[in-house]
Amino acid sequence: MTDLLQLLFAGLSQGAVYALVAIGFVAIFTVSGVINLAQGEFAALAGLVAISAVGSGLPLLAAVVLAVLSVALVAVIMERLVIFPVKRMTTLVSLILTLGVSTGLKALMLLVYGPNAEGLTPLTPGSFSLGGVSIRYQELWILLIAGVVSLAVYWFYERTLAGKSLRACAEQPVAARLVGISLTKASLLSFLIAGTVGAIAGVLASPIYFTSWESGLTLGLKGFVAATLGGLISVRGAVLGGLLLGVLETLTAGYISTGLRDAVAFLLLIIVLVARPAGIFGRTAEARV
Amino acid sequence: MGRRTATTRTAALLAAMTLSLAACAESEEGGGGSGASADETGPITIGAVLDITGAGASLGVPERQALELLAAQLEEEGGIDGREVELIIEDNQSTEDGAAKAMNKLVNEDEVDIVLGASRTGPSLAMRPIAESSETPMISLAANQAIVDGSEWVFKTAQNDRVVIERMIDYMAEQGWSTIGLARDASGFGEGVQEMFDEVGAEQGLSVVATEKFAPDATDFTAQMVNLRNAGADVNVIWGIPPAAGLAQRAYDQLGIETPVMQSHGIGNQVFLDTSGEAAAGMVAPLGRLVVAEQLPDDDPQKEIITEFIDAYTAEFGAGPSTFSGHAYDGWQLAVDALREVGTDPQAIREHLEGVTDFTGISGTFTMTPEDHSGLTKEALVLVTVEDGQWQLVPDQAD
Repeated sequence: MTDLLQLLFAGLSQGAVYALVAIGFVAIFTVSGVINLAQGEFAALAGLVAISAVGSGLPLLAAVVLAVLSVALVAVIMERLVIFPVKRMTTLVSLILTLGVSTGLKALMLLVYGPNAEGLTPLTPGSFSLGGVSIRYQELWILLIAGVVSLAVYWFYERTLAGKSLRACAEQPVAARLVGISLTKASLLSFLIAGTVGAIAGVLASPIYFTSWESGLTLGLKGFVAATLGGLISVRGAVLGGLLLGVLETLTAGYISTGLRDAVAFLLLIIVLVARPAGIFGRTAEARV
Repeated sequence: MGRRTATTRTAALLAAMTLSLAACAESEEGGGGSGASADETGPITIGAVLDITGAGASLGVPERQALELLAAQLEEEGGIDGREVELIIEDNQSTEDGAAKAMNKLVNEDEVDIVLGASRTGPSLAMRPIAESSETPMISLAANQAIVDGSEWVFKTAQNDRVVIERMIDYMAEQGWSTIGLARDASGFGEGVQEMFDEVGAEQGLSVVATEKFAPDATDFTAQMVNLRNAGADVNVIWGIPPAAGLAQRAYDQLGIETPVMQSHGIGNQVFLDTSGEAAAGMVAPLGRLVVAEQLPDDDPQKEIITEFIDAYTAEFGAGPSTFSGHAYDGWQLAVDALREVGTDPQAIREHLEGVTDFTGISGTFTMTPEDHSGLTKEALVLVTVEDGQWQLVPDQAD
């Protein structure tokens, strides 16, 4: 029982990171149909920026804020330079474009920060034991902040005018335009959200899971799988998808075989795409084609 | 207009690819047979294939630095017999296919006289058949004995996993332990380790009761460590390289497992100390003497050469070398020694390397034979623990 709880907890905190990355995918995809393959790189970049800022003597909190702001800026610049100029954006074109950005960012990170993996200082170092289950304080921070951010993003889309107009762009682009919503502004805003959320995922994950120039690849893939589990258009689905993926991975590693751990995500992806393309939590009617 | 440009570009790209493929095929034909040119006057070329990026970066980077340092030193001295020595370093991105590709390039295009690398077992194994078929001497810097088992052209400088395991088993038997829990690297480095523990330990009544695996780039170790905890062995062994080995050590400590833990010789660098932090306290690992150079007795035959290397390396890079840069140092010195003695004829280099006797290096004192292309015994290792974030020689060890 203790083992199960231990594994569940490890899975949840890993899953919360996937969930944040997944929210980034959803934020952009719902607005413009763009699948942003550089989403994982946002997280890696934020981690590396924060690590080097701490290394150069900045206090941890300031370094984290700096990392999140600079990655949000990178996301916005990326949207203006790569996404905005394309007149007829399709999902396929977006895949190719963002893959290019992802490769470029990776090369840049390798050049600037070198090839070694490093971990950021945790917000609260150490761990405690609760009924035989060992819990790191950083894991609590991950769960807490991921929860707050998810709720904030959810609230933004459901309750604020700006958020509703973003959803309008997604559901009825022409009608949205007719009532005066700017699609280009919406796309920019969606990248700002994705960059921020991705960066938060990166700085939260770094103390435990470490960051290197290439850690964005796995994180991005897992986040994408999590987003797909939620049908790619639902924040709630993305969060649940992320948590589910994290837990399943850890349980598989614990009870079946550690070698199968990374296979879980892709097995799950295939099953969902074949059996329930709208996501395991979505209704089929919501599917965008 | 746009579309036409795109078509043109695609066509151009295809053409370029076809051309380069043809070029490859040609150079393979031309370069087959003998990898090294029998030219006795031009510059000597030493190739190196290292895990500079990817999971093996914490090994490959210091190895590259060591090689660059040594190459610069040799250039200052005026090369070998007045011949210039050129060092060509390739990054295999810690992958097997990357290593094979890089090896092919070095052998066929650059026609190097000898190859060093790779940093890890998997990539080294991928290079071995190319070295054998092209008859190019190769000195791997990786650990697994499979790299040199029955090889003709391949040598290695890192201590064999067998001698490491012998050293560990001796220590375990001394402590009176009889069951081992193992969490090992799932790639080439960890391959066959469990079997070897069982084989070497059989005499002293030690055996592995649980084996867990982790990917070399894994970041979460909860599952493996929970399973180790449940196995209830007398001692647990984490067999991997940093940062994974350090993160595993952290997970071990965080889960509050009280069982003593040992690590392999794969952890001899600062990255391990940084990633494991306080969790490494009390862990015991067999490492090369480099990490505890200052604590060595003055009559240790390796002390002088190690101290010299540490000083030069630290002056150049601002941080001390790791055991991995030591493996690169040894590989380089063995290669240079052979080139100096017998020139660039591959067969002569191979025979010279097989005859290396009492060659004092960083990782130990090498004595190679046609049967043993590794040349180190368990005396090349000392037991080391970590105290306050520093390597500490375990006192009173049988030597």
